[in-house]
Amino acid sequence: MATIWDADEAKSSRTSSRESAFTVPAVARPVTSRSRRRLGPGPAIPFGLQIGPALLVLLWVAGSAFGWIDPRILSAPWTVIEAFGRLIEQGRLQDNFVTSATRALLGLSIGLVIGTILAVTAGLSRIGEALIDGPVQIKRAIPTLALIPLLILWFGIGEGMKVTTIALAVIIPIYIHTHNALRSIDSRYVELAETLRMSQKDFIFQVVLPGALPGFLLGLRFAVTLCWVSLVVVEQINATSGLGYMIELARNYGQTDVILVGLVVYVMLGLVSDGLVRLLERRVLSWRRTLAN
Amino acid sequence: MAPHSSQLKSASRTVHVRNLMRRFATKTILDRVDLDIAEGEFVALLGRSGSGKSTFLKALADLDHDVEGTGTLETPDNLSVVFQDARLLPWRTVIQNVTLGLPGAAGQEAGRKALAEVGLEGREAAWPNQLSGGEQQRVALARSLVRQPSLLLADEPFGALDALTRLKMHDLLRELCARHRPAVLLVTHDVDEAISLADRILVLDEGHLIEDLRIDLPTPRDHGDPRFAKIRTQLLSRLGVETPGRRAA
Repeated sequence: MATIWDADEAKSSRTSSRESAFTVPAVARPVTSRSRRRLGPGPAIPFGLQIGPALLVLLWVAGSAFGWIDPRILSAPWTVIEAFGRLIEQGRLQDNFVTSATRALLGLSIGLVIGTILAVTAGLSRIGEALIDGPVQIKRAIPTLALIPLLILWFGIGEGMKVTTIALAVIIPIYIHTHNALRSIDSRYVELAETLRMSQKDFIFQVVLPGALPGFLLGLRFAVTLCWVSLVVVEQINATSGLGYMIELARNYGQTDVILVGLVVYVMLGLVSDGLVRLLERRVLSWRRTLAN
Repeated sequence: MAPHSSQLKSASRTVHVRNLMRRFATKTILDRVDLDIAEGEFVALLGRSGSGKSTFLKALADLDHDVEGTGTLETPDNLSVVFQDARLLPWRTVIQNVTLGLPGAAGQEAGRKALAEVGLEGREAAWPNQLSGGEQQRVALARSLVRQPSLLLADEPFGALDALTRLKMHDLLRELCARHRPAVLLVTHDVDEAISLADRILVLDEGHLIEDLRIDLPTPRDHGDPRFAKIRTQLLSRLGVETPGRRAA
């Protein structure tokens, strides 16, 4: 661009010696004709992702400080922080957190193992698919919450029912995404494996399973989110401990600040666990990074 | 499934095809094709798109599971295929791709050697996505070589490469074939590529082999050689492309 511009200028100065009237338009023209409208959203804003949440918190602080927000509707941030400190002092937050985390992790692990086994069985064998895929699709059509009454009859209202509910919810995304990934292995790779005369075992462990890993990890991300959601649900029904119970109790006493503490903890759990899965994804799928860059 | 036998009747013959028929539904793709390829012979197969050349290669590679067909087909057990795309597993490193399915340390050593032969020593631990198109195709060549094939089937292996890379790959392939002496069937639609590489050129048209031409030019072959130009004109006219008369002169 610069060289064209320089050349233009040089030309105009050359002509100007002969015809000085052309000097002004010759210099002015490139400025207007070369400015081009930029499409697309433009360059990224530094800390762009943090601006929205920060603004919300700022509004919250200002609203509470100037008395725009009724504390019975939404407690002030400092009240929430106080409640946070108080709950930790009393040991209630830690106890309930541990109870909730145990349920969630137990349910997630059990669902993860079962979902993976089902997906691999259905993905690798036609008989497995015939036996497993239908029932899982039917289960998928039943909302997990609708199963709770039945699960209460079967398992009572104790830990068994809660962990089972979470596990049943988690199985679905793990199964769907892993099974789909196993079934959609590129047929070109199957052809390759045949020409290389790979054994069935090599084919499964070198081609099929690593190829399905991205699908599995996608399922895992959905599963982790779903596991926290189901946790909230089971803890607000018939629970005597856990974060959901703490929130439910606070509702009875109108303690908005305690409810907010519970919600903040849920947010952190959700963000941290999603971050962990993404970290795992980046580790395990390092071969992909070159594409993403 | 098409009948397929791996026993070779004659020792000096690598491929033996008689009366090969292949059809999809009512359309006949290959019609009574006969072909013999001698040990170490480099054969190029030319044809327009839809002429049946890929079907033929798939039949030879025993990859046409669901295709109807009859005929005698004898190929060696240790045949190797190079596809148009490099077809590397993106989740395996370069060396793992080369040694796929090969057991143990001997496989590793052979893999490293094959990579060195295609000029990629030191890139063993790279991911396929980090390589250029030409490098990926060289890895695919190494993967074929390491199995010491007596028949190499190549389905337009350089079709996706740019013109300069393609010329370099021709040199590499010629060099590798001179050293390892596999029989080669190279499917291509590039007439110049066929003439500069092959000992023998076949033209497939609507399922029939309509040309079987031995190329006796000395290697490396000069594209400017008048004999080269004459063969090119002859082949192009067999492919239905008319060239200006002065080229033939």
